[in-house]
Amino acid sequence: IFFSFFKTLVGKEVAVELKNDVVLTGTLHSVDQYLNIKLTNVKVVNENKYPQLTALKNCFIRGSVVRYVQINPNDVDTELLEDATRKENSAVAAG
Amino acid sequence: MASTLSEWVNQQITILTCDGRLITGTLAGYDQLQNLILKHSLEKVYSMEAPVERVPLGLFVVRGDNVAVISDCFDKGDDGDEGEKDGDVRAEPIKAIHQNVT
Repeated sequence: IFFSFFKTLVGKEVAVELKNDVVLTGTLHSVDQYLNIKLTNVKVVNENKYPQLTALKNCFIRGSVVRYVQINPNDVDTELLEDATRKENSAVAAG
Repeated sequence: MASTLSEWVNQQITILTCDGRLITGTLAGYDQLQNLILKHSLEKVYSMEAPVERVPLGLFVVRGDNVAVISDCFDKGDDGDEGEKDGDVRAEPIKAIHQNVT
């Protein structure tokens, strides 16, 4: 369900926070079934803390290291997402 | 959709491993699990006290489980020879990621 959700966000600006506290912002280029994320036009949020990463442009982020994906609320129809997850959860609970 | 690494084959890339290390090298091969083969790899060790330490590693195989981020290198100078431009960079090491064991 979240795979389809991310597919709707392709082309939008997102911020990805990794489990090692690094935050990267960029444009969502593509996503796959493991929720691995490819970002283009990447910018490291705290450049002074992580100067090692300033040479980044495009990056592939493994799904397992993502802690959060921050999205612009205007890009998301939260009601639709809530309904979809509710339906999926009740289907799981019933079965 | 196709979120693959094919566009970076035979290009200089930088890998961030789960233990917070930065390794640069040429992507020789990869698979669906993100296991990677890097040629002419170079580990960059940053610390607050000393300038960047470069450790040449040659041919390296990295297991996908340990890969956090893969990205291309935006080289400001395109002469293939890694200049000492970031020789004065000092930074705190990047944190390691504690992976859940399945």
